Order: sequence, then structure tokens, then C-alpha cells
Amino acid sequence: MKRIVSAILCFSMVMAMLSGCSGNPAVSTAVSGSASSKGEPKKVTLNVMMSFPRFMDQMQAYIDQFKKKELEEKNVDVTVNLEMPSSDQFETTLKTRLSSNDAPDLFTISANADLATYQKAGYLMDLSSQPFVSKLYANVKKTVTYDGKVYLVPFESTIWGYLYNQDIFDKCGITVPDTLDDMKKVVTTLKAKGYTPFELAFQEQWVPQLMTALTLGGLVSGSNPDWVKNMYADKASYKDVASIFDPIDLIMQNGTARAMETGSEQGCTDFANGKAAMFVDGTWASEAILKAKPDMKLGVGALPVDNNPKNTMINLATTTSLAVHANTKEKETALDLANYMLDDKDSSKLYKDLMFNPVATCHNYDQYSWAKQASAYVEKGRAYTDLVLPNAVTDEQGKLLQSYYLKKTTKEQFIETMDKTFKEANKAAAQAKG
Amino acid sequence: MKGGLNYGRNRKMFLFVLPALICFLAIKLIPAIMGIFYSMTNWNGLNPSYKFIGFENFKTLFTDDPDFWNSMGFTLKYVLFAIVLMNFTALLLAVLIENLHHGKGIFRTIFYMPNMISMIIGGFMWQFIFTQVLYQFSQNAGFGFLDQPWTSDSNFAFAAILIVAVWGGAGYLMVIYIAAIQGVPQTLNEAAVIDGATPFKRFLYVTLPMIRQAFTICFFITLNNAFQVFDVVYSLTGGGPGRETQVVSINIYEEAFARNNRFGYATAKSTILFLIILIITFIQLRVMKQKEEEA
Repeated sequence: MKRIVSAILCFSMVMAMLSGCSGNPAVSTAVSGSASSKGEPKKVTLNVMMSFPRFMDQMQAYIDQFKKKELEEKNVDVTVNLEMPSSDQFETTLKTRLSSNDAPDLFTISANADLATYQKAGYLMDLSSQPFVSKLYANVKKTVTYDGKVYLVPFESTIWGYLYNQDIFDKCGITVPDTLDDMKKVVTTLKAKGYTPFELAFQEQWVPQLMTALTLGGLVSGSNPDWVKNMYADKASYKDVASIFDPIDLIMQNGTARAMETGSEQGCTDFANGKAAMFVDGTWASEAILKAKPDMKLGVGALPVDNNPKNTMINLATTTSLAVHANTKEKETALDLANYMLDDKDSSKLYKDLMFNPVATCHNYDQYSWAKQASAYVEKGRAYTDLVLPNAVTDEQGKLLQSYYLKKTTKEQFIETMDKTFKEANKAAAQAKG
Repeated sequence: MKGGLNYGRNRKMFLFVLPALICFLAIKLIPAIMGIFYSMTNWNGLNPSYKFIGFENFKTLFTDDPDFWNSMGFTLKYVLFAIVLMNFTALLLAVLIENLHHGKGIFRTIFYMPNMISMIIGGFMWQFIFTQVLYQFSQNAGFGFLDQPWTSDSNFAFAAILIVAVWGGAGYLMVIYIAAIQGVPQTLNEAAVIDGATPFKRFLYVTLPMIRQAFTICFFITLNNAFQVFDVVYSLTGGGPGRETQVVSINIYEEAFARNNRFGYATAKSTILFLIILIITFIQLRVMKQKEEEA
């Protein structure tokens, strides 16, 4: 009797443990539409994975609208399982799901960082013939195209340079500088009036990396357009673009103290409270800045790289974008959802609620003043598409800039290490092709 | 008759161990063996197809990866300091607590509590303390020496990591030492008092030899855990600034998830780490077991 009881207990413990092993770690909701009177609706289930948990409510509401539309127009009852893992685990979760045949039907990836990798792995469906493609702005369409085909629906398209405090600029009578010498004059004026020119928040390595993104972007797009291509072919060097250190030195030498102890959130708050006049961060930081000080007047400027105003341009980057899995079983409904993201009637409100920039002709909502300022650069043709560099290279740039700030790395070491990192990334990409 | 009893008991014991055994096999052992297979491929964690490349990953590791060996050197330095500091602190606390008249339970709980906090959370807590709290203290309360680059200078960052690691880990070892000290027969101590030994001499010649077994266990635990330390360093400095405080586990994590997503190569590195830890702990156990038996 005792043996039977202990055997049963062991068995139930094993079962409990095994059942706990599986299961969804992310939040998922499933709501099905109501039955219509046109006869039995076809039932379809879509699994969607997105990487902005802070917009869960808005996306859920938008998807409910989609479900109603599908039911009315196509008599299809869609159940959408929407998962939003936190952004730092998102990539690992997505990669695991894709590799283990448990792939979602639609998922978001970063257009400038991941498009090539995922397309080469064969997970993205070609969307070039979909109706939404004709609505995209030309420069945005370029960012979601690979090898001549469109693979993604752009969500988060940022137009950014550096941020500045309009009030401080007005008080000191400063206009946005177009050359490095003008920027140096701005710095001198600010210091004379007792303001710290730049907010430095280098604790997280992606923030200093923005400096290289902007300076390389401006310099390369304006004066050295083949540099990236040559780097991928192991034919160029960071020595060719060593002048990026001029603006970087200017920023580092005229900034707030304790940069390594300031994280990005802290930096946004300090900048909002007027601790510095300028902050090299993108317009995505506007949410955090305005939360700290809702009445702050933000401005966006293009970061000058040298004294050639042609190299002072604004950066156009598309990050989070929606992809359709190449082997999804519910191709028609998945494509409907992808197209609905840029629906003529409803998409404007969604993009406005999420504070995203307009990406297509169906978007006609009012933008925030700094977003309009940034878009003005684009309209004047003073913009470039964010350079696509290997992830290892962008990470290493951030780390080396941190070291450079702490004076532990010299310019020569920076150049040498970056060249080596790029070559290794090329080697790894060639190896992985096999 | 005797055989039948043993058989029944063995089966019961086996059934009780079965759930834990299944978990261990499924979650730790089988993936580790599969990992050794993946370490000989060039998989990047995403592609549905990959190539089998034999020992090329291991060759690259030994010839072309200075970052890994730098992090290995830093980890060894950390292990050395961690073993000494953690065990010394734990033993000191254990002795002090055992010599209290009242309040043993309270102090035991207080010193054990940091162990119950996940070290990631502990690390983030301490990161806030090091970067914000100590700074404010030094500015407003006159403790000027507290204003140091705790997380951005390699020496201070090393000290910060050790402080947090000892804070979080000493409690566990302290409990083991307390149990061992309590196991020392009172008669030996009384005999030593009669012979006129001072408390310090008593500790050195009576207590210490009797708790040799606890030393073996605690050293083994500290050695094993210190080699694989991840959460403390990751949450406190992230391996930074640059790669100054990067321990081996963070180097492997970076290789797999950040640099060039070379999952196969990262698995090869973890296999090597496993072998190194295996050899070192094997030696450590052998040496200390021998000393135990001599005592």
C-alpha cells in the first residue's frame, strides 16, 4: 500500500514538473469574433509576435478592428494570439521559435539591423506585390527592401539627429549650426552663458554608439558613399573616416560629468530638466523626455560632422517592422493583417497613437513640432538612410567609445579594433552562408 | 530475506529520486551533450541549415580569440579573491554568531537573507547604490571617499563586484559553517579549557580541524559558482567598461547572442569552460579530501 502511494506521488510530481516545462512565457490574449449571419465563417488562427510591450493596448484594439473587418468583408473568424515579450528577450525568443518549428505567422524585426539575416535564413515572405507597397514613401520603401524585393511593413520609422532644448537656444540667441565650426561657436556661447552644452549618458553602450551612427552616416553619405561597400569587401578602413573624431571629441569634452554613471532614462530626465542644452539621442527619446517635463520645447538638428554643410544631414532609420513568415499556413489572412497595418482609413490613428512617423501616403495626421522639423530636412533632400553595418560592429563601436571616453583607448586603437571587428564579422557571415 | 529488503528499499529510493533525475537529464545533461555536437558546427542560432566543421571552432578558440583568454584570466583573478573573501567572511560570521548568548536566530536570518534575493535583482540594487546613492552621500554627508568611479574604473568595478558577490553568497556558506561548528563535540572544547587554552587557540586547534569537511564543501561550492558567475557581473557592470570586467560566461553569452551570433563557436567555448572547471574542481576535491583523511 505504501509503495503504491509513493509511486503515485512520484508519478504526479514528474507530471507536474513536465507540464510546467512547456507553456508560453509571454503574454497572450485570444479573442474570437462573433458569428455572422452569412453562414458558418471560416475559422483562422494567427500567431503574432511583436516587440513593443508598451503598446500592447493600442495594438490589441487595432487587431480587434481587423477582426471585425475580416468578419464583415470576408466572413472569416480570426483568432489572433498576440504576444509581446520584453524587448531585450524578444530576439532570443523569436529565434528559438523560428528554429523549433513553432514559428509565429507574423513577427516584428528591426529593418536596418536584421533584414538581411532573416531573409538569408529564408523566413521572410516576399511582399512586393501587396497593395500597401504602393502607398509607402520612397525613402521608407528603400529601408525595407532587400535585393530589390520588399519584405517588411514598416512600423517605427525614425527621422533623427540630435535633440536640443529650444528654450535654452532662444535665451542664448542660437540657431541650429550647419558646420562643425558653427557648432564650436554654439558650444562657446552656451558655456559663456553658464549652460552645459551636451548631455552625456554613456552607461548603456547603445547611446554613445548613436554618435558614430550619426557621424559615420553624415560623412559617408555626403562625401564617401562607397565606404560601406568597401568595408564589406575588406577593402576600406576606419582610417578613411577618422575625421568623425572631431565632432565626437567636441561632444565628449563639453558634456555633463559622470557620463558612465548615467543611464539613458536618467539622461532623458536630466536633459528635460535643463541640465544640458543638447542631447545626442533620437526622437524615440521624446516619450521619456516629455514624461519628465511635459511642457519642454524639443528641437531636432542634424549633427555637423565637419565644415562641409553637405555632410550635415538627418538620419532616416526604419527599425521595428512587421514580417510575414515565408511558410505560414494562413497566407491569405496573414497578408490581410499585414496590409491592414497601412489601411487607408484606420492606420493614421494607430501611427499617431504610437507616436510613429508617417511612412505612407495614407498617413495624414498632425505631427509633433520636432517631428515636423526633422521631416523638413528630408523634404529639402538633406537626409540619408541609416547605414547598415553588422551588429557586431555597432556593438563594438559603442563599447570602444565608452573606453575612449574613459581615455583607456586611443584613436589609433579604436581604428585598429574596428577594422578587425568588421573583418571578423565579414568572415563569420561568409562562414554562415554554408 | 536480506536481499529482498534491500531490493524494496532501493526501488523506493530510486522512485523518489526519479523526478529530480528526469529533470536533471532532460534539462542539464542531454542539452549539454547536444551542445557538444553543436560546438562542431557553424550554426548561428537562426539558419535552418548549418555545416559540420569539426574542430575548427576549437582551433579558432586557441589561436585567434584574445578576448576569451582575457576574460578567463579575469575570471581566475575573481575566483581567487571570491574564494578567500567569501569563506573568510562566512567563517567569521559563523564564529561570531555561535559565540552570541541570545539572538543567534535573528542574526542568522539577517545574514542569510541576501542569499534569498536573486543576484540579478541584487546586482541592479547595488548598481543603483554605487552610481546614485553613494554619490549623493559623498556630496551631502561629507563621506568624500565614497565618490569613486565604482562601475566605470576597472579596479573599482572589480571591488564592487566582489562586494556584491560576498554580500550575496556568504550567507549560504555561513549556514554550513555554523552547522559544522555546532557539530564539534563539547567535550573536546571543555578539555581544552581545562588545559588552559585561550579562545583563539581553542578555535585554531580544536574547532578548525573538526570542521575540515565543511571547508571542502564550501570551497567546492565557491569554486564552482565563482567560475560560472554571470548574474552579478551582468547586472552590475555588464562586463564593462569595454571588456574590463568581462568574465568567461559573459564572453560566451556575448559570442552567442550579440557579436556575430556564432552559436556553434559559443558552445565550443562553454565545452572548454566545462572541462577547465571539471579539472580544477577534481583536483581541489582530491587534495582536500586527502587532507580531511589525514586529520
